[in-house]
Amino acid sequence: MQDMINGAGETLDAAVPSQTDPTEDSFREESIDLDAEAFVSPQDDSSHFESLIDKLNDQMMESVMISDSPNSEEEDNEEEKIVQVDDKRETVAPDDPKPEAPKTQDTALEMDTDTPPKDEAVPVCTIFSQGVQPKAQALIPDGFQPTLVKSPSFTIGNTETPNKLVPQVCQPSPSLSKFFTDSSTVNPASDFFDSFTTSTSFISISNPNAASPKTAAPPESPLLSAPTAAGTYFTPVATKPQVSPVEPMSQLQAVFPSGDDPFGSALITSELDKRYDAWLPSDDTRKVLISVATQQISPVQIDREQLAMPGLKFDNLQGDAVKDLMQRFLGDQAAMKRQVLSASSVEQNFLGLKRLISTKNWRAAVDLTGRLLTAHGQGYGKSGQPTNHTTDSLQLWFVRLSLLVKLNLFQNAELEFEPFGNLDHPNLYYEYYPTVYPGRRGSMVPFSMRVLHAELPQYLQKHQETLDRLHRIKSVCQKILSNLQEGLAEDGSMMNLTQDNRLASIQLWRSRLSRVMYSMANCLLMMKDYVLAVETYHSIIEYEPEQSVQLLSGMGRIFLQIGDIRTAEKYFQDVEKACQSKGETPNEDTSVLMNRAFVYLSQNNYADAHTCFSSVLKLDPKNPVASNNAAVCLLYLGRLKESLGQLESLVHKDPALYLHESVLFNLTTMYELESSRSTQKKQALLEATACREGDSFNVQCLKLV
Amino acid sequence: MQVKGQSSAADKMEVNQAKQEHLLALKVMRLTKPTLFTNMPVTCEDRDLPGDLFVRLMKDDPSTVKGAETLILGEMLTLPQNFGNIFLGETFSSYISVHNDSNQVVKDILVKADLQTSSQRLNLSASNSAVSELKPECCIDDVIHHEVKEIGTHILVCAVSYTTQTGEKLYFRKFFKFQVLKPLDVKTKFYNAETDEVFLEAQIQNITTSPMFMEKVSLEPSMMYNVTELNSVSSSSESESTFGRMSYLQPLDTRQYLYCLKPKPEFAEKAVVIKGVTVIGKLDIVWKTNLGERGRLQTSQLQRMAPGYGDVRLSLELIPDTVSLEEPFDITCKITNCSERTMDLVLEMCNTRSVHWCGVSGRQLGKLTPNASLSIPLKLLSSVQGLQSISGLRLTDTFLKRTYEYDDIAQVCVVCPYTSPES
Repeated sequence: MQDMINGAGETLDAAVPSQTDPTEDSFREESIDLDAEAFVSPQDDSSHFESLIDKLNDQMMESVMISDSPNSEEEDNEEEKIVQVDDKRETVAPDDPKPEAPKTQDTALEMDTDTPPKDEAVPVCTIFSQGVQPKAQALIPDGFQPTLVKSPSFTIGNTETPNKLVPQVCQPSPSLSKFFTDSSTVNPASDFFDSFTTSTSFISISNPNAASPKTAAPPESPLLSAPTAAGTYFTPVATKPQVSPVEPMSQLQAVFPSGDDPFGSALITSELDKRYDAWLPSDDTRKVLISVATQQISPVQIDREQLAMPGLKFDNLQGDAVKDLMQRFLGDQAAMKRQVLSASSVEQNFLGLKRLISTKNWRAAVDLTGRLLTAHGQGYGKSGQPTNHTTDSLQLWFVRLSLLVKLNLFQNAELEFEPFGNLDHPNLYYEYYPTVYPGRRGSMVPFSMRVLHAELPQYLQKHQETLDRLHRIKSVCQKILSNLQEGLAEDGSMMNLTQDNRLASIQLWRSRLSRVMYSMANCLLMMKDYVLAVETYHSIIEYEPEQSVQLLSGMGRIFLQIGDIRTAEKYFQDVEKACQSKGETPNEDTSVLMNRAFVYLSQNNYADAHTCFSSVLKLDPKNPVASNNAAVCLLYLGRLKESLGQLESLVHKDPALYLHESVLFNLTTMYELESSRSTQKKQALLEATACREGDSFNVQCLKLV
Repeated sequence: MQVKGQSSAADKMEVNQAKQEHLLALKVMRLTKPTLFTNMPVTCEDRDLPGDLFVRLMKDDPSTVKGAETLILGEMLTLPQNFGNIFLGETFSSYISVHNDSNQVVKDILVKADLQTSSQRLNLSASNSAVSELKPECCIDDVIHHEVKEIGTHILVCAVSYTTQTGEKLYFRKFFKFQVLKPLDVKTKFYNAETDEVFLEAQIQNITTSPMFMEKVSLEPSMMYNVTELNSVSSSSESESTFGRMSYLQPLDTRQYLYCLKPKPEFAEKAVVIKGVTVIGKLDIVWKTNLGERGRLQTSQLQRMAPGYGDVRLSLELIPDTVSLEEPFDITCKITNCSERTMDLVLEMCNTRSVHWCGVSGRQLGKLTPNASLSIPLKLLSSVQGLQSISGLRLTDTFLKRTYEYDDIAQVCVVCPYTSPES
């Protein structure tokens, strides 16, 4: 038998008496199915409804759209109507029957919206944008949709001839080539220091020794016998005859503060290196490293399969979406005014790279890392070819991959991460290069790169992979911590550490452990495994007690997101207690108020929520979150103009704080709700963005296209 | 762009006089709850190449949580990005904005918002009075709310009428169509206990695409019953839900709720003779999703087919749960005449493989009037260990020469007292 579920409060019809045998075990369906009769409207316009089948199909499609150009309009005077995905056939004008739209339109609709509703969490419809936007992956539940920007060569794939790269490859400045030689310089003068120092190159740069003339490694170096040994120092293509090492070095020296006491700083660096580079290789890798160290085996003899041989997978990203949009909407002249740094307009070294990053020109920065890596012999198409790693090359990879992730170019990052495998290849450890890094031990791969490597799959919907990798990192961190607590060195060897060093090391590894826990909790949250996520955030408090207020508030917000307001309030009470025990400070006061506002919001009490956000602003007038949220509340209170006015003035008064994609998104949404002239206002925003933001700005939040 | 669009619309007006550019623009936006912005932390350590750059970028980002930048769930609210799904029992809220796009004052503006469902048409506007005038660049705002009570196609019909400066009366309408989907799947199953208790098991499945917090799932019993919810384990201080601390349902998750219904004392006697369909009650379900978006549904009256007792009902009033092997034990049977006529009953007791009845079989029980009942103590023993079913009772109505068989009336656990080392 079937029982109908009705909306609460509705009067209930007498249901059909049950004829079910009482002993019958099977569950009876309480169906909420569409009743064919329910579709026959009591009014005489029932004829406008299509057959039941059509109705059901229609329901499956979920092509519901509320838009500023709705499905149907009696006065059909909009040009843009062509782009609409609408189904006029379905629109019922009860007292004014509309002629049916041409059938062709129907088929177009089916094609667009035929996606089965069940396999995609995101609804097909959008509020304002016309048509169905491709929602390939919702990478972050509430984030904006990233677009994958591929360079032409990237799409062509590996068939691309390396020749094409030559012009670009030739560009690296002499200083760069010089740069890479530094860490690998082995000359009698520095031998003494190297046995202690083995410093990273940024430090060695500041070291007068580092300026020693670069030469090819001594012929007896095992590295040289590798097929591309020369590439360790100079990529064949990158080598330019006119390289003059002296001049750029002096530049660099001018930039880096020179160490005043090379010997003393060398000792400190060596301790630091040990602490930061410590890692526990897998058993297989450890065996290889031991045999290299004991000279039982020369690195050349090691099976290639066991080595990490990365190379660029696409040559450059270039492009500046802001400029493209300006060209499209404001004309070439306006676009000309847009000036951003490009990879070529900065120094071709780490300094230039940092400049690009800090000015938010991450695309250009990715390009520059590409050039620097090409100069190192790990350029486009070099993947799978034997190569030597240095501290710097791995740092470059780390920066490049981080920026790709920041730019939401996850697939590109994944491709380039792939040759690194599990980041456990023998040639990613210092022990593999006894001549270049004599006495130095540990991992060349920065810890942050391991975290990044672990986090990446979750952005590609492979959450489980992320968790697996994070757990692996976590267990190494725990092992290292227990080694340290047992009085051993990080890697478990019997080595005497001074108490200071031991404490510093424990502190470092605890903070790393907490970083991994954060990643785990974040990943679990993205997976919507709220139970484990909250548990994990809880355990972070132990490591980061000073973040307890933020963490407890965050957990409260998780409960609000689920809809469990009572539990959220419990967490917010804990926040208040934590604040009281610390003695109220303004900042903590704001988090209490902020939490209260979120509770009001969840109770549909937008007026009180608005009051709370406003009182946060009284305490902290420059709080961008509170001002944005207060404006959002105003909209829900039906005060569109006020809300819009406030946000707009904030963006223009303090662009540094408010030119953020979330704020701009809210602003453009309100523009669209306000009038038909939203495009002009959005263009004004585009101009404001153009003078401030770099090439990594996510233009989608302007909703111009 | 927009200017161009308008001028071309004006061109069109010349060509086709019937088409008219309106001075007012109507915009509609569904107000689902805002969402919290999540950011994507990418960090590095001081010694890495970017130094403190990444940290600084994250600290400068207004959407991060200050002091805990690695926490992805921020505090920044973002407006709904799409229409989303709407489910039966939820509240449909929408912003309706009528904006004067022209450069002239418009008079007597009336905005009307109706919701057309397959069965009815509802007026949702807060006020039905006309606004006397609207200056350029000004707008009329309205936020409408409606608790959705029907499934299927809904059409929001917005009608705007106004008078221009030249006194021309104009009117336009816009339609916004959306589908209301079913949020839950509810399946029920009844168990009739040997006593008059009825157990209801309800399986509730979340068939939406987002997690659902079940705020309340309760059974509102019909007047005949008292209900006990069996969904929490109460310890000394507080009761804990059987579903754990976090009471939310992931998409497609199903949860089973259990209720025990007992007839109220005043109905208890009647309950014995109840036949056919009885109304048990209805389930009241309240759930919440993102930032407190609320939904509520009630099932229709759940009905149960009372077990058919036939003309004579035999139930047990007393039976031990555990008995010793080969030792007689007592049970008390209650025999009720559920028919409309008087019966004259004879009780026979047939031994089974394990159950052996003591006493005389075929004894007269005497006359039993309709609805009357009598209790009979019986003695029996079991010759087999384990869980044994009590079977083999036969009642014969001598008036109609009709025999009623009662097997598997109850179970007892038969244990051997000698093997236990303690005893």
